[in-house]
Amino acid sequence: MANNTKNRKAILVTPELCIGCRACQVSCKSWNQLPGIKTHNSGTYQNPPDLSNTAFNLINFIEMPSQENPARWLFVSRRCMHCDDAGCMKICPAAGAIYRTPEGAVAFDSDKCVACKLCVNACPFDVPRYNDQGKMSKCHLCFDRIGSGMEPACTKTCPTGALKYGDRDELVKTAKVDGFSTIYGENDLGGLGAVYAFKEAPKLYGMKENPVIPSSVIFWHKYLKPLSWIGLGGVVAAAAIHYLAIGPHKDEEV
Amino acid sequence: MAEMVQKESGGAILNHWALAISCILLMITGFAFLFHLEWIGSVFGGFNTMKTVHNWVGVIFSVSLVFTMFQYLGDSLKYDADDAQWFKVAGGYLSHKVKVPPMGKHNPGQKLYYLGIALFGLLIALSGFGIWLMKENTTIMLLSHLVHNVAFVFFCIMVPVHIYLSTLANPGTLPIMLSGKVPLALAKKRYPKWVKAMGKM
Amino acid sequence: MTNHWIDLRNADVILAMGSNPASNHPVSMKWVMKCKEKGGKLISVDPRFTQTSAKADLYAPLRSGTDIAFLGGMINYIIEKNLYFKEYVVNYTNAAFLINPDFRGPADLDGLFSGYDAKTRKYDKATWSYQKDENGIALKDPTLQDPNCVFQLLKKQYTRYTLDKVSSITGTPKDKLVAVYELYGSTGKPDRVGTECYAMGWTQHTVGTQNIRTMAIIQLLLGNVGMAGGGVNAMRGESNVQGSTDQGILFHILTGYNPTPNAALVDLATYIEKTTPTTKEPGGVNWWSNRPKYITSYLKAIYGEAATKENDFGYAWLPKLEVGQNCSWLNLFDAMLKGQFEGFFAWGQNPACSGANSNKTRAALGKLKWMVNVNLFDNETGSFWRGPGMNPAEIQTEVFMLPCVSSVEKEGSISNSGRLAQWRYKAVEPIGQARADAEILNDLHFAVKELYKKEGGAYPDPIVNLTWDYGEKDAAGKVKHVDVHKVAKEINGYYTADVYDTKVDPPKLIGKKGDLVTSFALLQADGSTSCGNWIYCNSYILKDGKEVNMMARRGKEDPTGLGLYPNWAWTWPVNRRVIYNRASVDLNGNPWDPKRPLLKWNATDKKWEGDIVDGGPPPVAVSGKLPFIMKPDGVASIFGPGLAEGPFPEHYEALECPLEENSMSKQRINPTIKIFGGESDAFFSCDLRYPYVASTYRVSEHWQTGVKTRHCPWLLEMQPQNFCEMSIELGKELGIKNGDMVKVSSARGEVQAVAMVTERFKPFNLANQTVHQIGLTWHFGWQFPEDGSGFDSANMLTPNVGDANTMIPESKAFMVNVRKA
Repeated sequence: MANNTKNRKAILVTPELCIGCRACQVSCKSWNQLPGIKTHNSGTYQNPPDLSNTAFNLINFIEMPSQENPARWLFVSRRCMHCDDAGCMKICPAAGAIYRTPEGAVAFDSDKCVACKLCVNACPFDVPRYNDQGKMSKCHLCFDRIGSGMEPACTKTCPTGALKYGDRDELVKTAKVDGFSTIYGENDLGGLGAVYAFKEAPKLYGMKENPVIPSSVIFWHKYLKPLSWIGLGGVVAAAAIHYLAIGPHKDEEV
Repeated sequence: MAEMVQKESGGAILNHWALAISCILLMITGFAFLFHLEWIGSVFGGFNTMKTVHNWVGVIFSVSLVFTMFQYLGDSLKYDADDAQWFKVAGGYLSHKVKVPPMGKHNPGQKLYYLGIALFGLLIALSGFGIWLMKENTTIMLLSHLVHNVAFVFFCIMVPVHIYLSTLANPGTLPIMLSGKVPLALAKKRYPKWVKAMGKM
Repeated sequence: MTNHWIDLRNADVILAMGSNPASNHPVSMKWVMKCKEKGGKLISVDPRFTQTSAKADLYAPLRSGTDIAFLGGMINYIIEKNLYFKEYVVNYTNAAFLINPDFRGPADLDGLFSGYDAKTRKYDKATWSYQKDENGIALKDPTLQDPNCVFQLLKKQYTRYTLDKVSSITGTPKDKLVAVYELYGSTGKPDRVGTECYAMGWTQHTVGTQNIRTMAIIQLLLGNVGMAGGGVNAMRGESNVQGSTDQGILFHILTGYNPTPNAALVDLATYIEKTTPTTKEPGGVNWWSNRPKYITSYLKAIYGEAATKENDFGYAWLPKLEVGQNCSWLNLFDAMLKGQFEGFFAWGQNPACSGANSNKTRAALGKLKWMVNVNLFDNETGSFWRGPGMNPAEIQTEVFMLPCVSSVEKEGSISNSGRLAQWRYKAVEPIGQARADAEILNDLHFAVKELYKKEGGAYPDPIVNLTWDYGEKDAAGKVKHVDVHKVAKEINGYYTADVYDTKVDPPKLIGKKGDLVTSFALLQADGSTSCGNWIYCNSYILKDGKEVNMMARRGKEDPTGLGLYPNWAWTWPVNRRVIYNRASVDLNGNPWDPKRPLLKWNATDKKWEGDIVDGGPPPVAVSGKLPFIMKPDGVASIFGPGLAEGPFPEHYEALECPLEENSMSKQRINPTIKIFGGESDAFFSCDLRYPYVASTYRVSEHWQTGVKTRHCPWLLEMQPQNFCEMSIELGKELGIKNGDMVKVSSARGEVQAVAMVTERFKPFNLANQTVHQIGLTWHFGWQFPEDGSGFDSANMLTPNVGDANTMIPESKAFMVNVRKA
């Protein structure tokens, strides 16, 4: 894994501090100049219902039963996790279409995207989305802000600190000191660039347990990819040896 | 001038080269995708065009592959005792001293090679279309991606073998695939059973 | 706010009741969450489990409109369990004061206080008074044992608010009541502080003012007023609503909370005599005794040179109310409907959606001859004549649209809930024909003044004598562009003559004519100073010969560590961040809570350290002066005779309610509210056609009637449509599923909405009935989105009945029916 952890930046999501105001959704749209989506109310505050090519982040409103109260209502920020071992980057066939910034963000370049849509299938978190031209888009950790020393639009706007941006190691350490027993994404997929601080099981918050890149992608990446050039090279080498050691076919000898 | 016999028809030659050239193009672009070889991409004016080229050349490859079925599939499925003996002596490629049994129009190595090409060609073509056209289905996408790449490994190994055997390893073979004709004398040596079947021996 | 936003972090317990800050004041939650991080507790009391409830350590449901019962139970609990802060209560409140022995309360008179006249629905407050000695000083019993002392009367009234009784009214489970009382009551210890955050959840009731009074009493019993992390804090519903009331936008007050004169206050002397409180209490600073200085300086500010001692400083030119006249919203629209006036400026508002009982409001607009709609966008008000149910052919109202600019397109100040006046700058140029409000006013002022000058008219003096020195004038004498700094300086005030301190010999020059006045303590009653708004005096000062805009300051120092940030912008009065802060120290000037020393008396240097001290005198033990300087007697009023309903709050049901009887007393509804009797003023209680309690509220994504926010696609994406929240149980009963379309109707109208069937709403189990409650947002309107997909305003449903003191409509508790659309 890359583990250039020294300078790696991250977003720390603390759902316990999130109040569901969704300023993050607006600021993201504002900074990225994404159009509003024509939605309807489907009986929940959550809107748009899911991430989309014009909605890079989203607050999931999760209602669940509670002993003490009428309900429990959780607000969980969803976005690209900026995996260190990113399935999308692995599988992407287009050079430079998905790339890692010096801060550790998984960013993208629409011009270079070949619209193959392989990345969504390799993403353990169902994050990448496509526009009309099939070009991928998703949260890029405001690479254009963080690259200039600013913080991402969403964390800048968050009033309660439910979204914090900073040095990844520092954020993880602080969250632990603050008593969060589970740091989701601390080590998953080489360490996520969006880490979550929980006091309960991440599953409760709708987080995937043990997120992994599909095994076929791993197998392909680990074995098939090298095998293709080893195979090619091997055959060429073998042919050369054969030619030199044994030589070409001689019809006369038959 | 030595007597020549017609080994390959004009159509077959054309199809062979369509398949060969498309295959090589696909492999080159495939390698570029696999290893993000930007210099290859730039030859095509970027990865986007390269993807389009890869997809449509894939169509040529697939069509061409189907044509080969009519040409080679029948013959490739027939094996006799000489073929078995041919395997025992590894076609004489490992030693010039061994006696290679008499062969027909294609030796079993070629026949097996064709079967491989047919099978993996089919797989790589189908999975290619899966990746191209079935984007909304994760299972098909991932399976296609896997199959495409497994088949690619086969091509990476077998295509150079074929090129070597049909050029350097067997001088005189390439002209056959260019003109379709083979000198009778050479044919009698290499494909005695075929020549016999034609009644020229 | 008595305190300020950042101060929320200093609390031990925060009670969010009558508010939903997580949705409606999200930035305040920054400080709430910081409070929680340090171990503070958040209590949420709300009919619905809200975003705030989701963050609360303790949640208790209550039926809409029963806050006084809930809080009355808390008063009872605090007294019963001896949780109150006795030293504070005895010294800093009127708990020890003896009340007129003829005074009777709800415990004696079945829900009423002595002096009630059923015919006028008003009280004669004669018996709501102190017993006084021959010198006019109130009699007191510091042991709090006298049966006529405020404390005992309080105890007597609230003993009736038992847990069982309260629970049967509010529908709150008893264990939750006890948990809230216990936790909040824990702040009665000197070193523990609790704060309350309220918003429209408390004000929009027929008992709105008394809701807040009840909390004020609790805060005084627990010694939480004046403390860092304490107070009673109004979270304002608009960014500058504090500023608008400060600057006299309301009909009953001039600037700085000086009362609007009425016809009986014939001249300045009478005005001063009748409105200036007096006291014989030795401990009373009675700051309002300065009223003559403030009103005179105000008159000098608006009439300038024309205001002279000889002409009563132009007092006669001030518009006067009839005695007892109430010109608040509901009355205005009632009069409009009756055709009692013909013109209307709808300036920065959208009455067709914001006013209670929209059908009545919209019908009233149709009775106007003309209306000027000043807004960013055309809205349901400007286009009311083409709205649903309207026949444009029949409506004669001529509507003028004047596009104005948004807050980021102009320079000026905004005063937030924490009384913090912050200067803002123009960020972008306005688009199209949009103009700043001040520029529109400038044109209007000039045109009207010219007309009066040319044509005379009935009484031109108030207009032609108005000062308007807001910038360079053109040849015609019109101000070319309004310089808002000049407006700000006029509000702060100038010396209109050289002012000397005559107490010293030789007299010392305090201020030179034309200079800015640096503090309202220097304002004069003889016309030698002008001041547009005395509480803003000190906001734009002269320092070292330079004019300094205090509101534009951006210092980030926090010397106390309590988040006062005294060099950031400016807070009224005189940059005091917590008002009544002299109540945060004991009689010797030592902080009650040494951990949060808002103020401390430095006995050596004989000065206060910390926040800017309220009033200025040394500690009570030194000066004898008590901390509540705005109250004539120097102490806070647990017994508060100022309000219409009584000196102590009593629980009454909402005008529309699901109960046949108020189980506290025979008085079902607030006995002093005004009930409109017109055809369009219908209301129904306990009517089978309208069986469910309803409340309106807001969401984070929209602002007010949504005129600004509905035009923003990003916000509409998140909250595209009006929705109606209801319990799973009610949904089942009505066959309504989550996401279904429903129609909600009341005696006054109907509105469509998307059903949000949720566990977060629960039916209330009262004594012998189950009450269902629903809630809707009021941010939508028929005009935009243009396809009508947002639905109309929830104010189609709300009743036009107001609080007895403020006339704020009861939009938080009324009765409706719900059916599947």
